[in-house]
Amino acid sequence: MSLPILIQTVLTPIVLAPIVYLAGRKLSHHVGWLSFAILLHSTAMMLMVAGSEYLEVYSWVPRMGWDIGFKLDGLSLPFALNVAVLSTVIAVYSIPYMEHRIGDKPEEYGSYYALYLLYAAGMLGAVLATDLVEFYIFYELMLIPSYLLIARWGYGERERIAFMYFLWTHIGALALLASIVAVYWVTGATSIEAVKTILQNTRIPFQLEVGIATAMLLGFLVKMAVLGLHVWLPHAHAEAPTPISALLSPAMIGIGGYGVIRIALGFFPQFFKVYSLPIAIWAFLTMVYGGLMALSQDDVKRLLAYSSISQMGYLLFGISSVNMLGISGSILHYLSHGLGKGILFMVAGILIMQTELRSISRMGGLASKMPLTAVSALIGFLTLIGLPTTSGFISEWMIFGGVIRSSLASGSMEKLLVAVLGLLATMFTAGYGLWTVRRVFFGPTPTHLEEVKEGSMLALAPIIALAILTFIVGVFPAPILDRLTQTIMLSSNLG
Amino acid sequence: MIEAWLCWLTPISGALLTPILAKIDHKVRDYGAVAFSLIAAIFASRLLPVAIEGITIWERYSWMPIPGAPIFVGVLVDPLSVIMANVVSWISFLIMLYSLEYMHSESGLTRYWFLMNLFIGNMLLLVLSDNLLQMFFGWEGVGLCSYGLIGFWYRDEKKYWVGTYPDEYPPSHAGMKAFITTRMGDVGMLIAMLAIYSYSGTFSIPELQSNPVWASTLLESGLLTPILLLMLLGPIGKSAQFPLHEWLPEAMAGPTSVSALIHAATMVKAGVYLIARMAIIAASLIPVIGFEGFHTFFLAVAWIGGFTAFLAATQAVVARELKKVLAYSTISQIGYMMLALGAAGLAADIAEGLTASIFHLVSHAVFKASLFLASGAVLHVCETKYMDEMGGLKRYMPVTFISMLIAALSLSGVPPLLGFWSKEAVLKVCFKTGDLALFLLSAVTAAITFFYSLRMISITFLYPKSKHLEELEVEGLHLHEVSPIMWIPYSLLAVSTLILGVLGWFVEEAFHESLSHLVTATHHLEAVVEPHGAVIDPSIASMLASISALIVGGLPGYWLYVARRADPRLIVEGSPILKAIWGFLWNRWYINKLYYLLFVNLPIALARITNRWIEVGFFNGIQYGLSWLTLRLATFTNRLVEVSFFNGIQYGVAELTARLCRASRLLQTGSLNINMYQVSIILALILVILLIFMGVW
Repeated sequence: MSLPILIQTVLTPIVLAPIVYLAGRKLSHHVGWLSFAILLHSTAMMLMVAGSEYLEVYSWVPRMGWDIGFKLDGLSLPFALNVAVLSTVIAVYSIPYMEHRIGDKPEEYGSYYALYLLYAAGMLGAVLATDLVEFYIFYELMLIPSYLLIARWGYGERERIAFMYFLWTHIGALALLASIVAVYWVTGATSIEAVKTILQNTRIPFQLEVGIATAMLLGFLVKMAVLGLHVWLPHAHAEAPTPISALLSPAMIGIGGYGVIRIALGFFPQFFKVYSLPIAIWAFLTMVYGGLMALSQDDVKRLLAYSSISQMGYLLFGISSVNMLGISGSILHYLSHGLGKGILFMVAGILIMQTELRSISRMGGLASKMPLTAVSALIGFLTLIGLPTTSGFISEWMIFGGVIRSSLASGSMEKLLVAVLGLLATMFTAGYGLWTVRRVFFGPTPTHLEEVKEGSMLALAPIIALAILTFIVGVFPAPILDRLTQTIMLSSNLG
Repeated sequence: MIEAWLCWLTPISGALLTPILAKIDHKVRDYGAVAFSLIAAIFASRLLPVAIEGITIWERYSWMPIPGAPIFVGVLVDPLSVIMANVVSWISFLIMLYSLEYMHSESGLTRYWFLMNLFIGNMLLLVLSDNLLQMFFGWEGVGLCSYGLIGFWYRDEKKYWVGTYPDEYPPSHAGMKAFITTRMGDVGMLIAMLAIYSYSGTFSIPELQSNPVWASTLLESGLLTPILLLMLLGPIGKSAQFPLHEWLPEAMAGPTSVSALIHAATMVKAGVYLIARMAIIAASLIPVIGFEGFHTFFLAVAWIGGFTAFLAATQAVVARELKKVLAYSTISQIGYMMLALGAAGLAADIAEGLTASIFHLVSHAVFKASLFLASGAVLHVCETKYMDEMGGLKRYMPVTFISMLIAALSLSGVPPLLGFWSKEAVLKVCFKTGDLALFLLSAVTAAITFFYSLRMISITFLYPKSKHLEELEVEGLHLHEVSPIMWIPYSLLAVSTLILGVLGWFVEEAFHESLSHLVTATHHLEAVVEPHGAVIDPSIASMLASISALIVGGLPGYWLYVARRADPRLIVEGSPILKAIWGFLWNRWYINKLYYLLFVNLPIALARITNRWIEVGFFNGIQYGLSWLTLRLATFTNRLVEVSFFNGIQYGVAELTARLCRASRLLQTGSLNINMYQVSIILALILVILLIFMGVW
């Protein structure tokens, strides 16, 4: 039995959420620091055991064979790291932002941070879970607090949009639940590792495999908001309170990708090999569609939301390669998209705090007023564009390297064509990214923005932390890459 | 070879230190930045023995542990990289020195020095890398810095715009255009790199050179040529060659020192360097897989180079802005370098083509840096970017005039300047390919080059003083020579082009000696194209071509602009054909307009349409439609199923029960006798049924 470390990572925020709620009445917005401390503890606990593969298992419902386990291996590390780091720094960012959003209503801070902690814990639990039932519970736990956060502190038609968000993702979750039940019915097990072993050693009819895998894939792809299942995302991500947007888009939706890799692909590699090309095409269309839509937006948060759809296309694209290079690239892309988009949503939040504007056409020339914000925005977009020395490049070349390698290996010219077109689609990212930077930060400053000041240090510090991380990962990827590729190689026999 | 590492690490560290030095004092920051570039140049010089001896030193350390195909970080020190590193670092240093004075009154200098040093460092990283992936870091780093520096005046004040109304572009737009255009090429390059990596399992240049298996596998599957051509897209973008050349004319929106850095020392030279590397790799693979595998690639390089040289030169003839003439001439001269590399493969003499190309690269770096720095001084003094608003500057700025004249003559290939030798070397290798069309094209381009150089020098320095300058003088400005810290760098460069030119033949031999160590393998190989050197000696042919080009271009240039026997404007106005040609050239062959239509307006329109019809119309429509339908269904179910049917049944059952009760009340007579009858009848019935079921009956 291992020391109870990871369980602290996940359960401490849940257990302490009510205390944060109560403390909020006394501490008002300062309770953000308490949440920060709690999440910092979670991150620290996780980093303590990040050196090698680490597994904790606790018995839960012995009669059903359900365990609660937490596993940190090369595959879950990038995800858990991203969620932990983002939720920790965004807790700090929330302090100035929610003060701006909530204002002088001290009783509301407690509920915001309590929900925030539950939300973060849901995501951490989902990526560390070792059991399908446990995974599903955490997967749904992400949904409920985020729904409430949007409904309560969002913008625009926030209640309607929160409801829409809930419905869409819940329908996805139900498809997932159906597939989990089916898997249980076939294998009689719920532990991810056990199911995988059983499925490797028993032949099940391919039609059945296709059925289950499709349901599962749909469940995850709703979360990832790939083309066709994306309708909820621009609304939710644009109208959520900005710190929550900065968790929804960079941290949460990619967990769908984690599910695809850890669970769907782990269980049904054959399905993915057979349907590699349609998945690649779907991913490509998502990339292009998200990019095109981002080009046409005027609301800065909506633009970022569509960009997230496009980036999830890259993630799925890497998965469609079904080889070590491409999948490792996808996983790293989750991390680098998290860092880049985290920076960008926080930048959008600073713009909202300092100018009260979201419309790009009403901004301009802000680089001289807020130089640090401008540089951060540029770094964020460059990470998405995949410029070398940012983490975005490492993930991008691995994704496309993986797809090209798989198409050359299979001799599939269609797939090579999709890979080439996919790389060309990265031009959209450069287009909307640099164009946005130009329209917001360069050119003459309009008169109504003459008095704008740089954002507060409290809002900028989390951004700077992420910016440093994107360069560290971009230049020294080895510590993460080493374990990631090893795990992928071992876990799914991919060459 | 610690010097090789430090050579590129110093400017990058210098860049990162700039914001910290700026906190101390702005003088410390400025001189510190220049010092870092000087240190890099000194490190580069310490590598020179490698180039002279013609040896190769290769060092590397683990970087990305990809199972089966690990990636390293390393340096490759060989004659080519050493020559490049020295050109880059020394010319950059002079530009940095010049910037001290040129930029001193600007704001945002921390950003300037940061980006300049980062630019230099990335370029050095690019040329010293031992593998393609690491090189790509430098490659994109150069792109990023150019984006930041071209758009240095990001506030887009009107005076920093480039072009003439209605084709004017603000600096921030120009920076973005440069980044996005070059990136289009980089995408192709990345595809090629990744494809090569998936076949060979390595990005390392020496490994690609020594192991021909990847190339022969690609050749067998018919993919070698497509991949080489995709790879070529990267250099085409970075070196501003057709069809990705349109970013460079706007790239002059940045400070002139930046233009000098982009045009002379860094950025555009990166593409030539990469193709030179590819040619060297090809040279070592040719003994195994033959020339045929690379024929299309070299043919494409040669023709793209030759055509671009011509395309850009024609546009330089009509340009109004001083820096734009220089920008077009850069595109054109880089075309020559490409041409030489392509010709190297076509003439089956990689060593000679490589020498010609790199020799021209070095010579261009020297005279173009001089030209740009001097033009910066002119712009500074005249407060205009248009040549026709200058004029008569020879009297006021003699040092600048002489430097610019020497450099422009070198650009035109006038003997005995360095440019003459290098251009002649290019023409020679071009002649050796046996492709007469290509040779003539490059000779014609040489003639046009001399013509526009004379035009530029004359309009700027020899023409009578313009109205604009006279107005400025009325306002109290007096035209003057710039300070020595500005003119020393460019006059030094002009003198070098002269001195090196006098020694030109020896310089060329030295380059050939050094670079041919890299391609020893291809000596004495059978060529695909039979050179027709038997008819006429290539050296004589190229010499003749150079001289005739000078006469053909020089005479009308002298007649029209220096001697001013006729007014060129009136000649053009008078002839509809010339006017049409002028318009065609002025509009950059309409390529720029076409690109804006295809790659800017079209995607944005497409995005708007997608938003309107697909996202809002279709997807959101479906969603709202579904929710509307669900609500409708619910209402309908409520009314028909719930109220009418189920409630109906419920009430019906209740009613029926009540009626039954009422009916059965009639039976409840209270008389025991009647009840007993009923009981016995029912019991009898049950008995009968039971008997039937038990099969008794």
